[in-house]
Amino acid sequence: MLRFIIRRVIVIVPMLFIIVSLTWVLVRLAPGNFYSGEKKLAPAVEKNLREKYGLDKPWYVQYGKVLKNIGRFDFGNSLKYEGQSVNQILLRGLPVSATLGITAYLIALLVGIIMGTLAALKPNSWLDYASMTLAMLGISIPNFVLGPLLVLLFSLTLFWFPPALWNGFPSKSLVLPALTLSAIYIAYIARLTRSGMLEVMGSDYIRTARAKGLSERQVVTRHALRGGLLPVVSFSGPALAFLITGTVVVERVFALPGLGNYFINACFNRDEPLIIGIVAFIAISVLVFNLLVDISYAFIDPRIRY
Amino acid sequence: MSYSASRLRTLSITLIGCLIVAGCAASAKNSIFFGKTEPPRDNILRYVSGSEPETIDPQIPNAQNEARICLALYEGLAEYDPKTSEAIPALAERWEVNKDSSEFVFHLRHDGRFSNGDPITARDFVYTIRRGLTPETGSRTASFAYPIKYAQAFNESDVLVFDSATKIYLLEKDFEEGNSQTLAAMPLSSLPFKSIAEEYPVAPAGNSAMDTAFHQFMHSPARLVLPKSEKDRKKILDKNPKLNNAVAGKQFVPVKAEDVGVEAVDDYTLRISLSQPAPYFIGMMPHQFFRVLHQKTIEKFGPAWTDAANIVTSGPFKLESWKYYDRIVVTRNPMYWDAGNVKLDKIIFYLLAENTTMMSLYKAGELDATYNHTVPSAWLDVIGPLKDFMDAPEAAIDYYNFNTTKGPTADVRVRKALNMSLDKKALADWRHVKALTAMTPDGIFPGYPQPKGDPFDPEKAKRLLAEAGYRDGAGNFDPKKFDATEIELITNPDSNNLSYAEFILAQWKQNLGVTIQLRPMEAKTFFKAQSALDYKGVSRTGYAADYTSRCSTKPIAQSIISNVINYWLRLNNCCWTRSP
Repeated sequence: MLRFIIRRVIVIVPMLFIIVSLTWVLVRLAPGNFYSGEKKLAPAVEKNLREKYGLDKPWYVQYGKVLKNIGRFDFGNSLKYEGQSVNQILLRGLPVSATLGITAYLIALLVGIIMGTLAALKPNSWLDYASMTLAMLGISIPNFVLGPLLVLLFSLTLFWFPPALWNGFPSKSLVLPALTLSAIYIAYIARLTRSGMLEVMGSDYIRTARAKGLSERQVVTRHALRGGLLPVVSFSGPALAFLITGTVVVERVFALPGLGNYFINACFNRDEPLIIGIVAFIAISVLVFNLLVDISYAFIDPRIRY
Repeated sequence: MSYSASRLRTLSITLIGCLIVAGCAASAKNSIFFGKTEPPRDNILRYVSGSEPETIDPQIPNAQNEARICLALYEGLAEYDPKTSEAIPALAERWEVNKDSSEFVFHLRHDGRFSNGDPITARDFVYTIRRGLTPETGSRTASFAYPIKYAQAFNESDVLVFDSATKIYLLEKDFEEGNSQTLAAMPLSSLPFKSIAEEYPVAPAGNSAMDTAFHQFMHSPARLVLPKSEKDRKKILDKNPKLNNAVAGKQFVPVKAEDVGVEAVDDYTLRISLSQPAPYFIGMMPHQFFRVLHQKTIEKFGPAWTDAANIVTSGPFKLESWKYYDRIVVTRNPMYWDAGNVKLDKIIFYLLAENTTMMSLYKAGELDATYNHTVPSAWLDVIGPLKDFMDAPEAAIDYYNFNTTKGPTADVRVRKALNMSLDKKALADWRHVKALTAMTPDGIFPGYPQPKGDPFDPEKAKRLLAEAGYRDGAGNFDPKKFDATEIELITNPDSNNLSYAEFILAQWKQNLGVTIQLRPMEAKTFFKAQSALDYKGVSRTGYAADYTSRCSTKPIAQSIISNVINYWLRLNNCCWTRSP
């Protein structure tokens, strides 16, 4: 087990190197740079800027600096935002994305499991069809469509929740973005729960439990859910990683100050240190989350050994 | 493009409009307003100025989202007139200009204070201008100060040429190519100083008559300036043998901040000497580049001086907090000299860029006003007639460039035909804007009418295309012969740019029968393709004025002539103004 973990941690280093190098090359290939815009700068002004940010140095010096920065987990200063370091920006954006992601995660688990269980208990009933239709809708409506639709209904027609902006946790402003973000996960979890539960409900130990004379509620909550939720558990680990790092579109739609919003703007601004910083950070989080999921399997499923 | 005076006007008008709407229309029927119409709880303006500012250091950025915030935080010698956008007294109570507009004397008010209580003196302005020009500052707008003597040379890190044997500097006038400058052609600011009475139509009062050593230095003929890098210098020297000989064996002295033509004659008198007559210079004084900064704070904190904990401001508001990517809150500055006339307690700038998000916030009553152009084009028909929509004029233009270096648009007849087949008036009426035939709209400068340009004439357009070779057997224009894949229209994908473009493409389709493709491109990719002429056919540009002067539109004229379209001036009726 320990050897497995050590091996996986060591693999992170070359992975990170490849990801960062690729990102750097792609940023360099993109036309324009952080100061280019509609209006041309005076040549002297442009030269001053290039010197100020070291863009006049040869490419290997600049690339070397990027790698050195990664090695020290200090991603340097943003090019676009004067006087702000990438680390500061990451630390500011992360809590927002994490709050949003975890809230959406909890909503997805709660609603998804309830919907899936109800559907599995009465297969082919109207309840089943209704839940699965909703789940299908959740999977097929992209969140940049769902977000504005929810805004139209809950903010502009009913005036229940604000249509955008961030007021921390807990607040009304969190509701619509978290719902939007969780929709697709609610759908997945509901479907996983339903199929898992259907399988378990037909198995021998459930029949035994019923034979013991347990009430249907006890059968479901004590015995069926445990086995039926295994697929959900293995899905929920990566889902958490994706929810925290995959908030880009939702943050954009609702103007939230999270990592995703920073990332989109960094790309549009060609803010190289910020792009590389966020990519490296997300890469590390996904790698670490995957590792955690793999480790947790060993505890959930006794058949898995490392 | 950076801050535009008339955008300030829009801001103030929108603001007033919203307060009126909010104040007296609470009981009015909601259907005539787009937004919620409950009166606000506090005396706070909630506003959107665009996306996250690069910085609120007024001398660095050049975009409008920062400019509007900087306007609230900093004050300059002059301020934009709310109605005409011309320079009106602010920290300078009054000023005098010499006879040929090459030297300016500003008299500062004695009660000007920074937000920490320090008095604002002429020395602060000297510091501010020198700091903006320092190459390490990395100002995007430093070129605004280039009319000042030696400002450009200092910003470009140029060198002067010093003869250590004779202890004199080489002078520019001795090496002018072609005719050497005659004394009569030189600006007053570069001639020996005679007397205040002779040089100024209205004599400045007080110490400004003082002919200091620095003043004499300014009034001496301009010194020769050469690039610092040997490579660039060689290029110039190679072209001018006389200069090359004169420079041999001489010493190169870097231009210093102290050489720049700004002088604090006394605590409250500032003198600025220019290298050439520039009547428009006064119109630039309200620009954020010239707004006064607090030297001690900047020197103490470096780039972190704009943090809410450190910042010292000079304008009607001071910074309360900056939650990155979320909001900037500015609050009333009690030290401001005109604090009594500041009506708002606070302004909250929400930092966002999505038009639809702004519209939602406004409709839900979370926002009092937004900057201009935020109503998506497609919504304009619905929102336009409502009472809380402000249609204020703005000096901004949109125009299309033809790539004259390749493809069908290399032919002037094709360019003329594409231009003449556009019904610009229809477009202008549809989008609440004015059709233009030149860069400077009518009415901006009295007595400066637009050239007529080519009229809307689809028949003539077809004849021109037939002449250009796109004709059938009978000699008539044949759209099938016109290979529309050789032309495309590129633009950055701002929603309004796209709807303008679609309108224009529809006109070409309708009037000429040709289908030209629209290719939206990500902004920076687009600008690169446009300036490298790496596109087929047509590209879009927008431009807004920074200050009022005929010169304000000069830079675009130059850039167009130099790198976009050579024949633009002959075919210049493809542009129009926009209003919000």
